[in-house]
Amino acid sequence: MSRIRPDLSDEPAVRLDGVSLTYERTGEVLSEIDLVLKQGSFTFLTGPSGAGKSSLLKLMYLAHAPTRGGIRLFGRQTYDLKRKQLAALRRRIGVVFQEFRLLDHLTAFENVALPLRVAGQKPDSYENEVIDLLRWVGLGERIDTPTPSLSGGEQQRVSIARALINKPELLIADEPTGNVDPEMGQKILRLFAELNKRVGTTILIATHDLDLIREFDAPVLRLSDGLLARDTALGAAT
Amino acid sequence: MSKRETPLLPVSDAREAALFFVVGALCFLAALAALTTRGTYKAAEAWGAQIEGDITVVMRDTDRRTAEQAAERVTALASVFEARVLSREEVEALLEPSLGPGGMPDGLPVPMLMVVQADTSVGDPSPSIEGVLDDLSIDGDVAGNAGYAENVRGALGVLRLVALSIVALLSATAVAVIAFATHAALLARRDIVDVLHLSGAEDRYIAGLFERRFWILALQAGLGGSVAALMVTALIVFTGSGSAGVEAQLLPRLSLDFWDIVILLVTPLMAGLAARFAARLTVLASLKDTL
Repeated sequence: MSRIRPDLSDEPAVRLDGVSLTYERTGEVLSEIDLVLKQGSFTFLTGPSGAGKSSLLKLMYLAHAPTRGGIRLFGRQTYDLKRKQLAALRRRIGVVFQEFRLLDHLTAFENVALPLRVAGQKPDSYENEVIDLLRWVGLGERIDTPTPSLSGGEQQRVSIARALINKPELLIADEPTGNVDPEMGQKILRLFAELNKRVGTTILIATHDLDLIREFDAPVLRLSDGLLARDTALGAAT
Repeated sequence: MSKRETPLLPVSDAREAALFFVVGALCFLAALAALTTRGTYKAAEAWGAQIEGDITVVMRDTDRRTAEQAAERVTALASVFEARVLSREEVEALLEPSLGPGGMPDGLPVPMLMVVQADTSVGDPSPSIEGVLDDLSIDGDVAGNAGYAENVRGALGVLRLVALSIVALLSATAVAVIAFATHAALLARRDIVDVLHLSGAEDRYIAGLFERRFWILALQAGLGGSVAALMVTALIVFTGSGSAGVEAQLLPRLSLDFWDIVILLVTPLMAGLAARFAARLTVLASLKDTL
């Protein structure tokens, strides 16, 4: 897999400088956002519905380009990247989508394996890895099940496994526990925390679940009316 | 667990069935047009050569014996297959449209006519025939058909150009239809394309998925069109081979020889390649508008 260039250790994983995003229909949803996510950091993002959390995440996983401002990922400015370089950068990011975005005609196994398949790997090389991950998220018996036959919670777990299979350097999760029971929610977040601690994966989780946030000693960012601020009352100080 | 990878683009839907039919029909028409073009070319060649080889010699104030003598000497010329003097009945038949069914009046001075069939590819025998007439002191004219044959070739050349234009137009239509279908498929599968993009797929990887899909579809549809064209041609060749009238000679000659089979085999390949090309360009152009 091609990398754009080696990271400098003091470069943040994500850096947003004066980023604004305006949609043609709804107007400005993000205004002059400045944000730094250090490599290996674990951060929550919260805020009311419609505050622009998903839009902010989309900018970070390169689904949208900002209307104004600059985004640096792993020390690299993104606006001048060629399309091939953007694809290489995306392979370093794992995304858990709020609406799962699973491919309905594929099985749970095939959905999880998608990032590896796209990177040109053959089934023989990743089969065990995918099965292990599916077992870990509690879907060991549903490996060959087409995703429309899975419950919402199961689909959520497939989506999480897909985001993790590539061992991403940055994991962005949009409401990753929204469709699972509290026990599974905690299990998933503990996995994220373990990834963060052991592998150094930078993690950003957007969630409404304040109880869950309180269980983790992590900084919390609050997005409200398109403006971003640190929530010191809810999260850790650093 | 199955090791076989499911295609990332879901298997065909109703839209693709319609596209299959359209591409198949276009290939059928293109193959028939190409075969007709070739038939026209062959007809033009054969017909032109036949006309060019027919020479008429008009001999005035000559008796039949001298005319027969001239025919014998003309037949002996290297490039001449046959030369013979027309009988009085044959001349009357030729003049019937002008003089009516009553036959020629006895006192009418009618020249002797000699028809010569020659191989014009060896050379024009007209000067040699004129030499024979001079030797025998015959007052006569040698009338070749080279100018007429040139006109026929010109007309058939135009027909050929029209047929080639039809093939080109059908090919361009096929490319446009496939480009349109690819664009529609891309819009319909936007969700899949987005997920692939966000999973790190490069544009050429996504384009490759659509390329393969439409390559196979066009290849299969083209094969169907070619088989249909083969059946129609075979029907024409085997049921129409008995007619040998003037109309049959004027029509392009459909056949099923080696090059006709090559045309039928190449048609689906061309359709497949055109589909690949159209799909690739369409997908890459569309993806450029996304991040």
